[in-house]
Amino acid sequence: MSDALQILILGITLGGVYALMASGLTLIFGVMRIVNLAHPIMIICGAYVAYWLFNLYRVDPILAMPVAAVFMFGVGLVLYQLVFAKEAASAKYSEMTVLLTFAVALVLDGFLGALFSNTQRVTTPPYATDAIVIGDLFIPTAQLYAGLISIALIGALVVFLQFTRMGYAIRATTQNRTAAALLGVNVGFISLVTFAIGVALAGAAGALVSFVFSFFPAKHWEWIAVLMSLVVLGGMGKLMGTIVGAFALSIVAAFVGTYAGATWSTITFFLALFLVLLIRPQGLFGDPIESA
Amino acid sequence: MKTAGRSAAGAGDVAAVVAARREMNQRLASTRREGRSWGFAIGCLLVLAALPLLQFAGNFNYVLHMALYTFMYIAMASAWNIVGGYTGYISLGHNVFFGIGGYFSGMILASAGISTLITAPAAGAVAAVFGFLVGLVTLRVRGPSFIISSIALLMIARILFDNWDYVGGSNGLSVPLSTLPVEWAKLPYFYAMLVIAVLSIAASYRIKHSKFGLGLRALSQDEVKAESAGINTKLYKVAAFAISAFFVGMAGAVWGEYLTYIRPNIFLIILVAANMVLMCILGGKGTVTGPIVGAILLIAFNEFFVAYFGASELNILGTGVIMLLALMFFPLGIVGTLARQGRLPRFLDWD
Repeated sequence: MSDALQILILGITLGGVYALMASGLTLIFGVMRIVNLAHPIMIICGAYVAYWLFNLYRVDPILAMPVAAVFMFGVGLVLYQLVFAKEAASAKYSEMTVLLTFAVALVLDGFLGALFSNTQRVTTPPYATDAIVIGDLFIPTAQLYAGLISIALIGALVVFLQFTRMGYAIRATTQNRTAAALLGVNVGFISLVTFAIGVALAGAAGALVSFVFSFFPAKHWEWIAVLMSLVVLGGMGKLMGTIVGAFALSIVAAFVGTYAGATWSTITFFLALFLVLLIRPQGLFGDPIESA
Repeated sequence: MKTAGRSAAGAGDVAAVVAARREMNQRLASTRREGRSWGFAIGCLLVLAALPLLQFAGNFNYVLHMALYTFMYIAMASAWNIVGGYTGYISLGHNVFFGIGGYFSGMILASAGISTLITAPAAGAVAAVFGFLVGLVTLRVRGPSFIISSIALLMIARILFDNWDYVGGSNGLSVPLSTLPVEWAKLPYFYAMLVIAVLSIAASYRIKHSKFGLGLRALSQDEVKAESAGINTKLYKVAAFAISAFFVGMAGAVWGEYLTYIRPNIFLIILVAANMVLMCILGGKGTVTGPIVGAILLIAFNEFFVAYFGASELNILGTGVIMLLALMFFPLGIVGTLARQGRLPRFLDWD
């Protein structure tokens, strides 16, 4: 019983991190129909920001998180203007953006790899190797902090989307781009800002990930499939769906990992993806599939 | 008065339309091709088939190697084009079939000693069956979801092969070295790859000019309309996926024996799939000759890049930059752009 509780707690804290990693992705897809395959490499960019701030200036990765987020916000603004803004009118827009973000992922992967080499790195704040012990329960602090901060950030994101003027505009654009534009929403500006917010979330997630997982540039390919399976499971572009999917899958993965070995815990995500495609292609919370 | 005016304008319109149509017909007639340039194609083939004669003049193993490598990518890019170009389903995990072909024939070679040159068609068939089964699941969704599922497929394959001890795990499989003298060692694989490339191009050409290919192109535009026009879209796209997997699997089988080792981190890395996609985009997605042009250009570029900057992460960076620029400025690719401008040379026009 306490075994199960232990695994459950690990699954939930990890689920929070995954939810944060995937939330930017789902936000960007929801508003702009961009499947950002470069999202995981952006998370790794954020992780490098935290890594270097920690190793050069001893800045705690949690304090480095806003820095990483702001830095990546800027990257997002520039990238959107350079690459995606002019594609918005393209007929095969969604397909096109997948290829474009794939190319961006290759560029960033190669760039980071050339700059920092593909050695495994991890930031090591004092709490990274610590653990809280309550009775039989053993909770690694790194994972606990990352999970809690992630959950707090997602909460802030939900509040922002639900209760601010800009949040209304973003949600309106998600629901119906044309109608939002007709009602006076500056759709182009909202797209730009949402993209940058999504990338900033990747940066923030990266700072947290930097002390939870070891990372190197080429690792993002693995994360693409993991994060995408969360997004597909929840229904593309549905934030709530993604969050529920992240918690559900990481809890299942934690159980699979404990009883069948770590290799199989990663595969859980991909098998879940195939099951969803097989049984309910639109995902748990998704609308019926559009033919585009 | 009003009606008269309108009918006069109508007559004028009709005359204008007739004139425009005549002009259009004339333009079409003037640009119409007199058949295909079969002479060029056969000439190319003869030159390539005679390439190993260079070995009598000295050691040209490097040339043969590059040619062989190019044949392989031509075969794979052409095969990818059947799914990604004609059908419009972008697969970013297509090298799964490359791996399956390589491992299937590699295992037979390692255990029974039968050359992959003999078992390659069987490896292709295994890949095709696998492609058919996977296609039944993943081709249910279009667009982004399909692309994601193709990446997930590659990741699953990578994890499975990395941990499957029977086929050597992440160390992979070693197959016996060729016993031929070094100057002729590349020959069987050279011709095998040439044959696979030719078959793949031929299949791509035949499909493009068949009812099947027309159906594929119709469903790439609008699946619902294609279905209501009487096309069995589900069967069509899964069949296209299986055919594509067949050629990629064959190429994998021969490449495995040629390399003499078959490893997940050679066969199952996303860069191989990225290359196939990029070659098709660069040359022109959905055209017969596009993948060939793209493969030759990209391999030449990569070779120069490696020669000047060394094989490093910069290579990935370069691939990404080319892909980004090609997508942003030449989304139709070289062949596609030239064809749209009506300046496509005849020897490249097989569409």
